[in-house]
Amino acid sequence: MTDDELQQRLQAHDPAASLPPADPAWVARLLEDTMSADQSTHTDTDLPVETRESGTRHRSPLTWLVAAAAAVLIGGVGVFGLLNNDRESSQVPSAGLSAPVSEAPTVTVLAAGAPTQGRCMVPSAEVLANAQVAFAGTVDAVSADVVSLTPDRFYAGEVTDQVEVRSEPAMMQALVGAVDFQPGQRYLVAASDGQVMVCGFSGAFAPALESLYVAAFPG
Amino acid sequence: MAEDEQGAAERRARFEALAPQLVEPLRRFLARRTDSATADDVLAETLLVCWRRLDEVPEAALPWAYGVARLCLANAQRGARRQERLAARVAVVDPPTRSVPGPDADRGDPRLDEALAGLTETEAELVRLWAWEQLTPGEIAAVLDLTPNAVSIRLHRARAKLRDSLRKIDGAAGHEGSREGRTP
Repeated sequence: MTDDELQQRLQAHDPAASLPPADPAWVARLLEDTMSADQSTHTDTDLPVETRESGTRHRSPLTWLVAAAAAVLIGGVGVFGLLNNDRESSQVPSAGLSAPVSEAPTVTVLAAGAPTQGRCMVPSAEVLANAQVAFAGTVDAVSADVVSLTPDRFYAGEVTDQVEVRSEPAMMQALVGAVDFQPGQRYLVAASDGQVMVCGFSGAFAPALESLYVAAFPG
Repeated sequence: MAEDEQGAAERRARFEALAPQLVEPLRRFLARRTDSATADDVLAETLLVCWRRLDEVPEAALPWAYGVARLCLANAQRGARRQERLAARVAVVDPPTRSVPGPDADRGDPRLDEALAGLTETEAELVRLWAWEQLTPGEIAAVLDLTPNAVSIRLHRARAKLRDSLRKIDGAAGHEGSREGRTP
């Protein structure tokens, strides 16, 4: 038996021969998780509030802080939306959309999502498809409590001229860490129940992430 | 701060250019060596190492990444919770479920399994990297952290041993006509 014959016999027995290629959306999500996993780990451990107050609970106090802030913000955003737009009632109430028809510029207001604890769920277009708001846009400014973006394409949600992600500074720090918002850069952002989805769903504009958005919001 | 951010963006761009080329070969590498649940875990871990050590990734990234995956897999298999998976020894790993069986897929090659199981772990890995990943001795050297010369010599011996073993097994099976009746 020559080397070639031996190699052929081994190759005929290759356990990976029948492995179908990976779903591109799955790969995109995997890579995004890889890059954000590191950052969210840093965010979780580097914040002083974590070390000072942890000890009584297994769960990070930041989690509760963020959850409370998010609840307040969603409530506030919802009221804001209702005051500004009657058509809001036809939409998911917690979506936090505010899109006045006549006034310009229109603004979609979102809240920062809670930073991820532990591992992210498996990336999929199905989960992303649940987002009420999804868009591509360029960051205009990042401040302590607001990230403002100019959207250039909406995959889901009411089309507006501006999008603002509002949050209190502690949460914003976590969000900016997770998504890495930088002025002048283009991002893909999705929001569910008025909260920006982190954990790989929102991030810097990249072909891989874009394909996930296209898959989640066809047409 | 702005420089940091720019650096971070460049890092992301570099990883996004590199990683997609690694994912598919790594998936296959792992599918050949472990069960699918462990393969998914180890793939994620391997990519994380590549991301964290992006500055160390050499020009020939794939053999390096195989080397990382190999160590991550070894770590995973050391884990106490994975004792069961460890039992499915690499050389005799259950083939993944074949959704669309090829011509020979349903039969497998038990004699080859047996012959591979007769190799030492290093010998079997050399043979796998040569036959399945189709790496050159130089690339295998990068995966296993050996010199190319050592790889050439050891691979040559491992192939000879495997050939010899196959000849015996095939011969025995040919004479007696069934695996069960065969004596070692």
